[in-house]
Amino acid sequence: MNFGYSPEQEALRSEVQTFIRDNVTDELVEEMDIHSGTDRPRGRGPLGQALYRQIGERGWLGIAYPSEYGGQGGSRIDQYIVEEEFLRAGIQISMIGSGAPAILAAGTEEQKRYYIPRLIRGEVSFCLGFTEPHAGADLANLRCSAVRDGDEFVINGQKMYTTSAHVSTHIYLMARTDRTASKHKGISIFIFPMDTPGLTVRPLWTIQNNPSAPKFTTYGAARTNEVFFDDVRIPASALLGEENDGWRVGSMGLNLDRVGAGRYLISVRRDEDIINFLKSDEALGARLSESEVVRDKVAELWTEAQVCRLMTMRSMSIVERGGAFSYEGSAEKVWAPEHGVRISESIMQMLGPHGSLLRGSPHSVQDGLYAHNVMGSFQSGINHGSVQIMRDQVARRGLGMPSSRGNKAAGVK
Amino acid sequence: MDVLLDEEEEMIAESARGYLEANCATSLVRKVEADPLGYAPDLWRGAAELGWAGMCLPEEHGGSEMPLVYLGLVMREIGRTVAPLPLLPSAVASITLARHGGAALKDRHLPQVASGEAILTWAFFETDARLRPETVKMTAREEDDGFILNGRKLFVDHYAAADLCLVVARTEAGLSLFLVDTDAPGISTRELVTLAKDRQSEVNFENVRVPREALVGQAGDAWPQIEEMLDLATILLCAQMVGATRKDAEMAFDYAKVRSAFGQPIGAFQSVQHMCADMQIWADAAELLTFEALWRLDQGLPAAMEISQAKSFCNDRLEAAVRNSQIIHGGIGFMMEFDLHLWFRRVSAWSMRMGTSLEHRARIAELLLDSPGQVRLGRSVSPAPAVPVTPELTEV
Ligand SMILES: Cc1cc2nc3c(=O)[nH]c(=O)nc-3n(C[C@H](O)[C@H](O)[C@H](O)COP(=O)(O)OP(=O)(O)OC[C@H]3O[C@@H](n4cnc5c(N)ncnc54)[C@H](O)[C@@H]3O)c2cc1C
Repeated sequence: MNFGYSPEQEALRSEVQTFIRDNVTDELVEEMDIHSGTDRPRGRGPLGQALYRQIGERGWLGIAYPSEYGGQGGSRIDQYIVEEEFLRAGIQISMIGSGAPAILAAGTEEQKRYYIPRLIRGEVSFCLGFTEPHAGADLANLRCSAVRDGDEFVINGQKMYTTSAHVSTHIYLMARTDRTASKHKGISIFIFPMDTPGLTVRPLWTIQNNPSAPKFTTYGAARTNEVFFDDVRIPASALLGEENDGWRVGSMGLNLDRVGAGRYLISVRRDEDIINFLKSDEALGARLSESEVVRDKVAELWTEAQVCRLMTMRSMSIVERGGAFSYEGSAEKVWAPEHGVRISESIMQMLGPHGSLLRGSPHSVQDGLYAHNVMGSFQSGINHGSVQIMRDQVARRGLGMPSSRGNKAAGVK
Repeated sequence: MDVLLDEEEEMIAESARGYLEANCATSLVRKVEADPLGYAPDLWRGAAELGWAGMCLPEEHGGSEMPLVYLGLVMREIGRTVAPLPLLPSAVASITLARHGGAALKDRHLPQVASGEAILTWAFFETDARLRPETVKMTAREEDDGFILNGRKLFVDHYAAADLCLVVARTEAGLSLFLVDTDAPGISTRELVTLAKDRQSEVNFENVRVPREALVGQAGDAWPQIEEMLDLATILLCAQMVGATRKDAEMAFDYAKVRSAFGQPIGAFQSVQHMCADMQIWADAAELLTFEALWRLDQGLPAAMEISQAKSFCNDRLEAAVRNSQIIHGGIGFMMEFDLHLWFRRVSAWSMRMGTSLEHRARIAELLLDSPGQVRLGRSVSPAPAVPVTPELTEV
């Protein structure tokens, strides 16, 4: 076992840090904010394109992706390092979402050659069209339909909570292709452009959107959406994997989507922030840092945050060895979000009334960072498989527990 | 970066598990609980033949100079079978002796320790049983030819089995370490009755004379060496707790699959499944924290933070895990004839040894809050450096 980074990896990290210090401006961060609520042209803006060119030249894009599809064929740990540093600067350069891994696992050669290089270069971005009004945790209950018509499929129905649907270039959609088959059997996955006629996007404003949450809060100012499909016609080549095999195909990427730099940082950022606040010259921080009770709490939470880091390292190690998760990704997706909630709640009781002031308020602490996080942190335990469903998976897949008569969940989500 | 076990580490762990599963049934554990000797000599001889007693001792003294991580894996397997072996105190005291003892002491004793013929232990705790230097009241008065020890030690692990004991006492110059024969004149003991039913003693020293050569390291100022010894005992105990909890949890997982209620296995109830999922997650987390700390010790990196993280976490969460296991087992887990309590009592007792959660978290808080510079996860926080550092992203 090795818990350290190699000298080459340390060098890579400081190179990336130097690059960020020299090149990343506020304007760039603002332009690239996929969480921004405002409507804007889909895909990358001019500053983002320039950034991708620069970091592409340095070999920092798609490090762990196969070289025949535009990646570097390198190490997942290296890619993690680059992703973490950029995320800490407020820039998402990794392709979040389960699209790319699922395409690599189940896509045709043509789909791989088309999508993977464009995803790596940031020219194409996917939103995730899984959840519906009546299909959340119980995703296989979905109704949105795709009916074959010659060389095309016709899509009708609705998706919900489709984050970034207003800025993504494509949708990664799960739809029902066979109504007569059993719940999990008649499902397929499609990928197609968001500007396909008949597709409408409507914003869903979250409790973090007014006032708009500060940067780096959990699910910050993310805008999510409803997406409506009204006789949307797509070519049959948009199908990913076999028709009616979508439940299996969809699950291929999800586990990877639950782990990585993004999920990790979302859960531990407040730990660093509050400790640095307690060490600062702020009167409130200085007073708190002398309290034995606060010190005990901070130490406990810091230890929990280390577990988030170590579980992420474990997941990276498994991926790097080319292995598959049995339950480890799900375990991380229980621990990290719940820690994110615990740190938020503990900070509430440290800060008292000042902690309740939102962004822009007089006397707010660090521009409402912690108050907004109270709202945001819970979200991490719901999406991409709620903590309950994740515990089901740890118990059933990891420990071999039997399914109950009334609860057959623990599937794809 | 690869936090999973490599092939050699897997081999070490598997061979340890194989030996213990073949030779340490719970009937043996129960027998030794009632035996004043407190360990199983045959099992110990076999373990010594496998090289466990000298795993981390220098080759010149018959050891095999392996990393502490390997010893941690063996301790994990010992915990798994709750094997009655005095390896933890003997390894900790002998490694300390190897690091800080004089050549004569080492030549005389270490080869015998490495071969398993001699067993060592150590004595630090007194009435105020915290991991702090000021708790040591025991005195070592200097006389021309040596020292005279007076005082009382508590919670001395496997004293009855040990030939020699590393004793912490206060000379005029300050804290010092002495290697003492366990049956030296002037020593008397009383057995403590512990939750783990392991052997721990109160050891009284009344004008116990030791020669000057018994001094390990310098007289006075030995706190850094003592703290290192206590840290090593702490983190190896964590490894043992992890192993014991794994087995204890597996017993609950297995039981939940076969015990039926309301027409289905209890393991099919989601509330039971979620208790089991948490147990697995906590044990995984404790193991990662523990082995990161051991790995750092092997690299010569500061590890005070990581050791305290591991122990405070083990204390709280592994205790919660074995408690869940008791609940999942229902009434049977409360019965003497059922084996589960062999693990439950030990994990509980160990969670109170080598520093409570409160003590360890106080140390973590000191390192985090009373050091200069900003913190960032993944960057080590070590004791405050002498020179001021820039606040952002410093590797201190
Ligand atoms: C801000 C935000 C962004 C999102 N982004 C996306 C996105 O981009 N794409 C997308 O497809 N989806 C997205 N989601 C949807 C998210 O994945 C769902 O909210 C999630 O799957 C839960 O579904 P639900 O909200 O319908 O809750 P429900 O399924 O109704 O669940 C409600 C509660 O019941 C519990 N529950 C359900 N079944 C069980 C069970 N078997 N055992 C125990 N408890 C159970 C759940 O854990 C939860 O606590 C997003 C959601 C939010 C809030």
